[in-house]
Amino acid sequence: MSDSFPPSPVRRRLRQGRDRLATVLVTAGGIGVLAALLAIGVFLAIEVVPLFWPTGGTQTVSQQALWLPQEGADVPAGYRWDPTATLAADEAARVSLVPLAWGTLEAAAWALLIAVPLALGAAAHSALFMAPRLRSRLKPTLELMEALPGVVIGFVAGLVLAPWVERHLADVLAMLVLLVPGLLLAGGLWSRLPPRLQQAMPLGWAGLWLLPWLLLVLAAAHALSPWLEAWAFGGDLRHWLDVRLGLDVAVRNAMIVGMAMGFAVMPSIYALAEDALSGVPRSLAEGAQALGATRWQTLWRVVLPAASPGIFSAVMIGAGRAVGETMIVLMASGNAALMTWNPLDGLRSLAATIAIELPEAGPGGLHYRLLLLAALLLFVFTFLVNTLAELVRTRLRRRYRRLGNGA
Amino acid sequence: MSAVLSRWLVPWLLLVVLCLPQAPARAEEIAGTLGAVGSDTMAGLMLRWGEALTRQHPGIRLQLQASGSASAPPALVAGTTRLGPMSRPMNEAERRAFIERHGYPPRELAVARDALVVVVHRHNPLESLGRRELDAIFSDSRRCGAREGIQRWRQLGLDRPEGRIRLHGRNAASGTQGLFRRIALCDGHFRPEINEYPGSAAVVAAVAEDPRAIGYAGLNHLTPGVKALARRDASGTRHFPDPEAVRRGDYALSRDLYLYLNLPPGESLPAAERAFLDLVLSPAGQAIVEELGFVALPEARRLRQRRGLALDETGR
Repeated sequence: MSDSFPPSPVRRRLRQGRDRLATVLVTAGGIGVLAALLAIGVFLAIEVVPLFWPTGGTQTVSQQALWLPQEGADVPAGYRWDPTATLAADEAARVSLVPLAWGTLEAAAWALLIAVPLALGAAAHSALFMAPRLRSRLKPTLELMEALPGVVIGFVAGLVLAPWVERHLADVLAMLVLLVPGLLLAGGLWSRLPPRLQQAMPLGWAGLWLLPWLLLVLAAAHALSPWLEAWAFGGDLRHWLDVRLGLDVAVRNAMIVGMAMGFAVMPSIYALAEDALSGVPRSLAEGAQALGATRWQTLWRVVLPAASPGIFSAVMIGAGRAVGETMIVLMASGNAALMTWNPLDGLRSLAATIAIELPEAGPGGLHYRLLLLAALLLFVFTFLVNTLAELVRTRLRRRYRRLGNGA
Repeated sequence: MSAVLSRWLVPWLLLVVLCLPQAPARAEEIAGTLGAVGSDTMAGLMLRWGEALTRQHPGIRLQLQASGSASAPPALVAGTTRLGPMSRPMNEAERRAFIERHGYPPRELAVARDALVVVVHRHNPLESLGRRELDAIFSDSRRCGAREGIQRWRQLGLDRPEGRIRLHGRNAASGTQGLFRRIALCDGHFRPEINEYPGSAAVVAAVAEDPRAIGYAGLNHLTPGVKALARRDASGTRHFPDPEAVRRGDYALSRDLYLYLNLPPGESLPAAERAFLDLVLSPAGQAIVEELGFVALPEARRLRQRRGLALDETGR
């Protein structure tokens, strides 16, 4: 509108200059970010090199010691992380990064196992079925959860949740067992209600009227747990696990980490998936329903595939955060460098190990370089997760673009 | 404006400048910042000493960076600090690095006695552990000579608590873990299932909430929630970690806490450091040691170290 008459040459040159300046600044910013990222990788790689090629009398470690199980002089063979061990003359270094990598991935897997179904379920419900008024309250609240610092979540998980779960193991098990049937039962009962009651409790407000029902289910689980423990586990679940399955229950274990970190990554997965789902053109879902598809069919066959690139990147961003998360794992896991499938055992992650041990490792020493190698491994992990996410997302988007545009 | 300024300001400035040299002469005032880098076990102790020092000499401030004993030697070598609190003696490599850089060895001062305590839940009936038992519980190398590992409370002859022993301890590379490994494990290997925490307080808290737990921590972190175990020696005598046994070293898991100084031989201490060490090795400084749950140095050692630093005989 300001171009309705030709600008003076001075003004034009000024504007061109400003344009050029902006271009330079934007480009410099982009290159700067890339350079910083690259510099981190290069720094880690350079610091790690002396571990493998001795330069000026630095200590080295063999690849076998890092990645393969080692025989000890007087201890069982296995993967061990004990970088400050006093070694006997013929003993290999105990610096395997395998249990740490295992712990990182195990913690992330448990967190995603808990967070993904909950977050995606919540996202689908709030994007498609929830009453707009409830949704406008709920969404900001859930997104606010994302702002909770990891330290706070880790503190609550490690010092409050973990001892409570350990004391009430049977209750927790009963709750897990009863929760899904309890919710399905609620759905079954609702569909059989007389229409007048159904209108009083519409599906869009299920988020509210299900709460008392949930509390009821949990109370029932609490009441039933002594009976369940007596009937199925001979009166003492922990004893039963110990004697029958040979499983020990650590107070701070992978399950606790999974719950806490699941709680931490849930909001970001929810927020992104919700945006993706509500971005699907309304006409697609309406068309499907007009052709006779049920709500479930519409969600499962039409809306989910159309939103899949966004949902996938939501899950991957959650995975990236779970792999790199430090404080929650540090405070809730007990930091025992174990490699087991037992979710009630402790674990130890790369990030937590770096956080605990780096301040005490003398710069330039073997321990210091090992920790930087762990950092490099973590960097590679998150890099792989993000690259994979981007690749799959672009492929999915290309496949479903026609679907979205054609509507 | 500037005329007014100069007319008023200059005489005042002159007055201040004239007064300055006289001020220290009057109150023997020492000023400056005293930097220290090292042990987190000693962080509370250093801070309290620093506060007491500031009360005596309002011009001095102690600036402490407590990121672990292992951070002291590199800082002393690099010259970023002249004062390194450590909860273990310097090892050979650290000492060599210091000598290579400065040409003389670091000055070592023992400033307090400390001990590691093995703790269990307050309701645990266990009272004492022998050398081999302790090793068999915490290590799977058993270099102290136990024949088999101990993983269950039953193996200690207890019918309560049931089940497995849950192990808690300090993180790798901490002075506390190193000392425990050296004395209690005979330089062996910790079991991999031991839970590691970045502080003694966290270890004690974890043990206090779990009847099946055992852990080791610094003496000064004891709380009413846990019970410190006695250590049985070869003859079967029990030594509880009480102050007298720790001071004399009868309790085997006791240790010195150190301050390392960068002090060229033949030079005298700078004034601020001198005031600090004078306080640390005085009865008042040792009272702070006891207040924080550590154990004061034996009197003879305290006086010997005062003489070594050419401080006056008894201290205030």
